[in-house]
Amino acid sequence: MKKKFTANMTRRGLLRSGFYGLGAVGAAGMPWLSGLTHALDAAGNDNERILVVVELSGGNDGLNTVVPFQNDHYYRLRPTLAIPKNEALTISDDIGFHPSLRAFEALYKDGKMAVIHGCGYDNPSLSHFTSMSYWHTGVPNGGEPLGWAGRFMDARWPEAERENLLLNIADSQSLAVRSRLHTPLVFDNPAQLNREGDELQKQAYSQLVQNRETGNGSLQFLQNVAENAASSSEFVRDAAAAYRTPVDYGISGLGGDLRNVAALIDAGIGSKVYYTSYRGNAFDTHVYQADLHSRLLLYAADAINGFMRDIERLGRGREVAVMVFTEFGRRVEENASQGTDHGTATPMFVFSGSGEINGGLYGTHPSLGDLDDGNLRMTTDFRRVYASMIQEWMQYPDSAKVLRSPHAPLTLFRV
Amino acid sequence: MKLLGRNLPRFAGLGVPRVAECCVVAVLSLAAAPAMASSPYTAPSSWVNDLSPVSELDWNYERAAHLLERAGFGGTPEQIEHLADMTPQQAVDHLVDFHALDADPLPDFELSGLFDPAMDPFPNSRAEAVRQARDNGESMGAKVAHGESRPIQPVVNKFFYGLRGNEMEARRLATWWADRMVVTERPLQEKMALFWHGHFATTDTKVRDHRKMLKQLNLFHENAVGNFGELLLAVTQDPAMLTFLDNAENIKAHPNENFGRELMELFSLGEGNYTEQDIREASRAFTGWTDEKLQFVIREEDHDDGVKTVLGQTGNFDGEDIIEILLQQESTAEFMSAKLYRFFVRDTLSADLQYQLADVLRRNNYELAPFLKTVFLSRDFYSNESVATQFKSPVQLMVSTYRKMGLQRMPTIPDFNAATGNLGQRLLYPPNVAGWAGGSTWITPATLLQRGNLMRDVLFPDVEGFLARDPMPGIYRRVEERLAQGMNITQATTEGDSGASMLADSDEAYNTRYGAYMGYVVASETVIQIPRFPADLSLSAMLRDARVDDVSAAVAYLETRFLRHPLSDSDMAVLEQFLRDELGADELSWRSEETEIALKRVLHLLLSAPEYQLS
Repeated sequence: MKKKFTANMTRRGLLRSGFYGLGAVGAAGMPWLSGLTHALDAAGNDNERILVVVELSGGNDGLNTVVPFQNDHYYRLRPTLAIPKNEALTISDDIGFHPSLRAFEALYKDGKMAVIHGCGYDNPSLSHFTSMSYWHTGVPNGGEPLGWAGRFMDARWPEAERENLLLNIADSQSLAVRSRLHTPLVFDNPAQLNREGDELQKQAYSQLVQNRETGNGSLQFLQNVAENAASSSEFVRDAAAAYRTPVDYGISGLGGDLRNVAALIDAGIGSKVYYTSYRGNAFDTHVYQADLHSRLLLYAADAINGFMRDIERLGRGREVAVMVFTEFGRRVEENASQGTDHGTATPMFVFSGSGEINGGLYGTHPSLGDLDDGNLRMTTDFRRVYASMIQEWMQYPDSAKVLRSPHAPLTLFRV
Repeated sequence: MKLLGRNLPRFAGLGVPRVAECCVVAVLSLAAAPAMASSPYTAPSSWVNDLSPVSELDWNYERAAHLLERAGFGGTPEQIEHLADMTPQQAVDHLVDFHALDADPLPDFELSGLFDPAMDPFPNSRAEAVRQARDNGESMGAKVAHGESRPIQPVVNKFFYGLRGNEMEARRLATWWADRMVVTERPLQEKMALFWHGHFATTDTKVRDHRKMLKQLNLFHENAVGNFGELLLAVTQDPAMLTFLDNAENIKAHPNENFGRELMELFSLGEGNYTEQDIREASRAFTGWTDEKLQFVIREEDHDDGVKTVLGQTGNFDGEDIIEILLQQESTAEFMSAKLYRFFVRDTLSADLQYQLADVLRRNNYELAPFLKTVFLSRDFYSNESVATQFKSPVQLMVSTYRKMGLQRMPTIPDFNAATGNLGQRLLYPPNVAGWAGGSTWITPATLLQRGNLMRDVLFPDVEGFLARDPMPGIYRRVEERLAQGMNITQATTEGDSGASMLADSDEAYNTRYGAYMGYVVASETVIQIPRFPADLSLSAMLRDARVDDVSAAVAYLETRFLRHPLSDSDMAVLEQFLRDELGADELSWRSEETEIALKRVLHLLLSAPEYQLS
């Protein structure tokens, strides 16, 4: 039997063990807990669905990822970087994947992958940080302080703080998971979620980190984080350390992070949104792009494909969908250094082994003949994909409330 | 008395006013008639957003401690008292006008002698080195070995030697810098160098040349509190920056905008104060700017001498003209003053305060010293909103801990770079061109726990374990073990079955993993080793010197010495009880090693408290 979530019975620890700790034992023997053992959606239905977000930081070159191999403009504007027609992995009459994406090709042909062309927003920013913040908040060109995933959890579970709804594997917390009500669980390496020292010291420490009223906002924040660390760390650490899988996630950091996501899903931590990133601005390919981009795509595909296979192996494929995005695509014309500069519209990917996903191509590929000052004109507002994930996949009906404006979902999932 | 006592430093032996809760009222009334108006930990609420200077009557130990904490990395009680004995103006001048102190006595960085002219310029990637080898029969001075089973192997080995050697040297360089922060008598010079390193964030991951990183670091040290305009120009001509933002690739025929964009967005104007057109035009002015042999050069044939229009001005501008135009913009003064303020004071500032600060910077023609003096003297700097509200960066956490301990040299066990890197900040490796986000982003459940664990590593260093540990990364060690078992290179280097790892070994002309292993071995023999030693710290001696002899005085002393935000009374009671239980007595016995261990255990708790993360 799996190790259960056992933490100190703090105020929140007690709540949490009610929610998750008894799940596998079954609440049947404890009728007083039966209403708490599952997260219930607004209509009171069981909904175990999970959204995993993968961010490709640095601005992935969409044109060389989803290749318009029949397009003369493409070959004219990218004399050294264009993917030759005979190397693209064909998925339609005029579209093929980059040759590194064999794993995506297989998922696509199995109907487990949706590709959404030309995602972006009006008045695009070509700054990494600004554009990424727009994708994080879901409010382009606005001063929104909370993240879209954070607001989603605020809307979905508005009554009281619930721990670990949002899980973010990162060095520092992503803006995307910043929530008004719920403190995200953020870590890089699960082994770090550990307070070293003997029992006596740990006891004294647990008293030192108790939450107290303070007028100092910084101290209040520290106390909240300390409380979260105290109650969740053992579970995450043990789950990741104990996890064994025969599936190879490749050699990237993203692979390791997604493996930990699988471990935590398997252990039943109960998070609804897992937020991960291919980190370090890796996709910012200004110079000598070809080799580098080829490797980056291969590593990312290994990681995502590994995760999809592992989740199916665990029998949890029906519960999980993965959404992949990047803050912008790249300039259509290659630069003098056999690289590409910051651009605009770029494809998004959604994966699921649920059987609910409508695999295929969505939207229209942006025109390469009609550019906006050298950049692609977006054809799909990225928030329509967010709306699909919120409404169709996570089955929360009011995506407009979360996104601060109405956006029609794309029917990426059967509803 | 009780109420006041909550707001006063607990330990009587430290600071002015020298008052503890148990002490007599007479001392308070003597020393602190002016301090009554503003007790050491709290300031009048009217001080927020007030840039007018604090008066001598407001000056005390706590405020001097806050000044040293922010304008430097904190210090010992003696260093704080030294500042507290001055007037506020003198104390601020002492820190800002550090050039008036004796010539910089700290030794220069000692290079290991890795540099090899044949390896300059260094290939962009392993693939590039292999292409050179195929085209020319050699690369980086390494020749293709004809007739052997892996003819390009020597080139790949050399490539990884260059890569790993540089990494090791950069690690030494960062360690050297950290040591400066710990021992310097000019703490603001180091704090500002750290600011510039985060502002003009250049990472050796991309630059791959420790000599350029050293040159840039020297630039930051020399211009730490000089003129921002001069520094901005110097940075645009700095080899590390030119490399980092690809300006060597910015040529007339095909401008590269990376440099122009970051110059406007992150280094001067701030987002929203320029157009895409401004970036494109400004980038043309920097075409042909590049570096050769560590020197800035302009390649006239690559420079676009045509007419450009940038921020409303038109002319056949070059890069220097663009810097001049940027400095003329109101938004540059606003952006830079706000960024400095956030680094030194606090995260949020009102629009009005931002305007006032920008005005100070502009009126002083971007001279930083008068700007910093205005900030460090201001009532706002000592207001309740500013004091003990900043999250220490990982580097600040480590350096200030060592300084508060009064160490004479920076311990290298635990490893400084590994420690701060684990917490999200590695010197010479900012995460991207925007630098470290800072503020609350330093703090996550994982980093908060690790901060406490790191303090344990400092107080109870595992010296034997550290020295016994093989620094060789696991993958190379496994390769080495398999080779020692007699496996061939292919067998010894095979791991995993993912597409990625197959790609890495797909070329039979050489073996990438073997090359990485060989490069590591040769590099570690070439680079000077970092001397390893733990903190030289005796808490028993520290407390004995302070005439502390019982449990509650010891806890009070350590709290006052190390924390900028007091612990709650109940936390103090927990720590006292912990120490009492450890010692089995109320009195401290100096002869016993157990006393030292018990004191370090209680200090570990103190340095793990949420309050200790606040500066």
